[in-house]
Amino acid sequence: MKHLSKLMGASLLLIALSIPQSAIYAGPSLKVLGWGAKSGPLKSFGVNSEAALRSAVAEINSAGGVRMGDGSMAPMEVIGYEDSACKKDEAIAILRKTASTTDAIVGMGTTCSGVCQAMFGVLQKKVEDTSDSGVQMPILADTCIRPGLAKISEWSFRNVPNEITMYDELFKWLRTAYPNVKTFTGGSETDQGHSFITYTAIIVQMAVKHGFEWVGPAVPALGPKVKQGMKELQAAAKSQHWLMGDTNYTVQARKIKKQNADMILVASHPFSACGFMKEMKRQRIKPKLLVGLTSSASQETLNGCMSAAEGIIIPTGFAPITPEAKKANSIVSKAGGFLDLHSSAAWENAYLVKRAVERAAIMGRPDTLQQDRRNFRNALASISSQKGLIGPLTRDGSTGEAEKPYVYVQVVNGKWKVIHDPNS
Amino acid sequence: MEDFLYEVVEITQAIWDGLLFGSTYALIGIGFTLIFGAMGKLNMAYAGAAIAGSYVGLAVSMFFDAPIILVFAVSALVSALMGYIVYQTCFRFIPTHNHLAALMASVGGLFLIDEVIVLATRGSPMNFPALFEDAYFEIGPFGIRGDLIFVFFIGLVSTVVLLYVLFKTRLGMATRAVAQQDVAAQLCGINIHRTNSITFSIAGLLGGIAGAMTAAAVGVLSPVIILPLTIKGLIVTVIGGLGSIPGAIIAGLFVGGFENFFLYVRGIDERDMYVVALLFIFLVFRPNGLFSKTINRD
Amino acid sequence: MDFYLNLINTIGIHTMLGLSAYLLLQTGQLSLAQAGFFAVGSYTAAILTVIFQWNIFPAVLAAMFLAGFLAFLVGFPALRVKGLTLVVATIAFSEFVRMFFYNLKWRVTRNGEEIGPDGTMGFAEIRYFSDNGWSNLEVTFFLWTFVIIVMGIVWWSDNSRSGAVLRAVGEDELAASSVGINLTVIKVSAMTAGGFIAGLAGGLYAHQVTSLDHHSFTVLLGTFAIAYPILGGLSNVFGTLVAVIFIQGLLVEGLRFLGDWRMILFGLLIVLAMNFKPLGLFDKHTIGIIKKVIRV
Repeated sequence: MKHLSKLMGASLLLIALSIPQSAIYAGPSLKVLGWGAKSGPLKSFGVNSEAALRSAVAEINSAGGVRMGDGSMAPMEVIGYEDSACKKDEAIAILRKTASTTDAIVGMGTTCSGVCQAMFGVLQKKVEDTSDSGVQMPILADTCIRPGLAKISEWSFRNVPNEITMYDELFKWLRTAYPNVKTFTGGSETDQGHSFITYTAIIVQMAVKHGFEWVGPAVPALGPKVKQGMKELQAAAKSQHWLMGDTNYTVQARKIKKQNADMILVASHPFSACGFMKEMKRQRIKPKLLVGLTSSASQETLNGCMSAAEGIIIPTGFAPITPEAKKANSIVSKAGGFLDLHSSAAWENAYLVKRAVERAAIMGRPDTLQQDRRNFRNALASISSQKGLIGPLTRDGSTGEAEKPYVYVQVVNGKWKVIHDPNS
Repeated sequence: MEDFLYEVVEITQAIWDGLLFGSTYALIGIGFTLIFGAMGKLNMAYAGAAIAGSYVGLAVSMFFDAPIILVFAVSALVSALMGYIVYQTCFRFIPTHNHLAALMASVGGLFLIDEVIVLATRGSPMNFPALFEDAYFEIGPFGIRGDLIFVFFIGLVSTVVLLYVLFKTRLGMATRAVAQQDVAAQLCGINIHRTNSITFSIAGLLGGIAGAMTAAAVGVLSPVIILPLTIKGLIVTVIGGLGSIPGAIIAGLFVGGFENFFLYVRGIDERDMYVVALLFIFLVFRPNGLFSKTINRD
Repeated sequence: MDFYLNLINTIGIHTMLGLSAYLLLQTGQLSLAQAGFFAVGSYTAAILTVIFQWNIFPAVLAAMFLAGFLAFLVGFPALRVKGLTLVVATIAFSEFVRMFFYNLKWRVTRNGEEIGPDGTMGFAEIRYFSDNGWSNLEVTFFLWTFVIIVMGIVWWSDNSRSGAVLRAVGEDELAASSVGINLTVIKVSAMTAGGFIAGLAGGLYAHQVTSLDHHSFTVLLGTFAIAYPILGGLSNVFGTLVAVIFIQGLLVEGLRFLGDWRMILFGLLIVLAMNFKPLGLFDKHTIGIIKKVIRV
């Protein structure tokens, strides 16, 4: 009995402690709560995003803070940054915790697309639908790259580059910059939703659209439009794909070697992308061009296979090419994180929140919480353009799809280098 | 006819590459089977300890710029030490007949190891130095990976040394005695806990070699490979026959070649389903594996 | 309130998951197949409510029966082997189910939108509860009605002859068969019952998280399923419940602020718990103490 009650007591105490205490600022503040993966193999996402968010908020506060509904200036307060470990159940629990036990105006996170898919699903789908009992809390995610997430709920927002645009422009540019590259093939990790769908529905099609010739297994249906021939492509090229945690890429590399393509696409996250590229190096496969998946434009790829990845070109939503970007980069590095395409969105989101708050007249009192959240959501939805770190962020109000500027980076001498800025 | 010859070449190549890589599965299978043979228990933390050793080896190479052979040696030794620690913390104090508690404890050990690795590496994959990375020979239409031959060779040497230790030394005899009948072994004056800790250490050593070889063959280390390696290792152990070392070797090589064959012929989505189907066929027709060893336990 | 209700729901689902492993564990068989049955239950219930627009109650029941039936079919060949071989066989089965769902594509267009499981992209927008305006309290009552019924059934089993038979098989198979207990029937029954419960839990889970993909149904889930009864003790239903509350409530939720160290602490606690209380938290010793105190 003693053991049992001690155990119960400890459990309840710790659950109570886990509710974020909003006690840092004595006066009114604009509260936000963030979450992301701070444990597990995707730990870098959460660590970087938290550093970026907190740094940006500190910058905003040192410049005066945000204007509340009554005209006064108040600081923005990150009342917590929780660990969702890129797991659906945990992110949903944090979302519900934020919505029902805190006075955060908006939830900021996460980065993992599969998690966003689940999280957005528990939100109320349409704001006016009173018969829908979903959660009514705005969520502003940093990244969550995956087509089709915007339509799940009107309370969801993502600061995410548009992969269709990025790859469309990339291959258009490559066609002119590398005129001797004519044929292409590629491989992908099939058990990671984002990688596989982006590869078979977008990347390959955009390459075809700009005149590159597919020399992988025959796919007559393959066309220049997004998703065209996707099913046939998935069925035809099965033995040149792999799984996220695979350790042997010999069959796939050999198959691709025989196709003798000028350009090879590697649509995979860092671990398996590196495994495959190392095998390519071993088998002396030297394409004229190597193109990768957006998620691999990060430090992890350099950690895993700096030399094998040499020359890979990837579109990304962040590089320190503008004064703002450089400044943010150094601030976040000092705070213990890296700014990359995922975490730079977290930084930008802080400013997006400020803009929406000032547009929405947030009162910030406990009794106005639900109205504040609704007003915030409406204000955020009405913002069609916002200054980002390397250019303007835009959002299509009707579809909810976001666009942001991008650059193309390449691994040169073991470091990421910006090789083309399509907006300059 | 040309197409047919082409396919034959490609299939042979796939099986060959898979077979060589399968030597890592064989080593992991031997590790599981040794522990099972000695104690009748499953150590779920095994592959975790194997990979963790490789991380330490990697750290050594990063901070001390050590030659690769030293990296492999450190990996193997650290995994052996971890095997010893896993025995002391997860198996030693739990009553012998209680299989569930020991299994659960080793699962706890696996979670612990996994998360410590993530903590130390911030979740990032890490480049692992390779031996003979450039050794790739093209003989006719075939491509031979020199580093995989080295991996296979190390696997072979390790197995031979293991068999020598098991069958030609007193230590090995003690291990086999405890495996056969632990009460009688105790009556003969053999210290069970000492023998079992040594068995775990030897298994750990093999695991460390397997881990280092796998890491060197892939070239990248990440905790995401721990679970798939555990599952493959277990499948190899069962197909080979619980407690049988030759079984684990043959099963390891076979599964390696088998999965690569199906990868080539049926593609990535079905590859693992065929491996599972292979296991089921064995379970239905030959549940004791290739070389069954009935261990009589009281 | 919403947060606590969600946590209570999670605890309920995991308790059922744990109890699905409980019965078979009592017979001494270690099965990691629960994740597979859970997955079957999840996808079945979700497909029924989303694609066929069934009401949730029959959908969840159908999921339960399908998973139970599958467990019955799997039980016969699987339970011919024991020990480590059974562990590996059930891991392989669980992985096979996971791979099946990762390949499953069943897309249907409704109101201009595509819905249904989409291969590796998973199965999104399983919105039965929110689409039909269920309040969180209603969801919790619905879910926990099932949990209490399941707990009641298992409790009854423990305290009746069937429980004694299960434990007899677990203690000593030779002795049990020599008093006329048909080992195969008992083990397959335990596995089937486990399949029913896991399928039910899965069906409810799908609607709690609104989105499924194969990443949720790995061997790790199967490991949690057996962890709860082993840590809680195999002689009492409440042991599993307390273990779930401890792990999901305290460790996962309560210690979230620890980040990384959560899992490290979790691993450490399991190792310590198994060394100090190898028969689980609620082993006969602890239950004896509790009984004495209650009588006082």
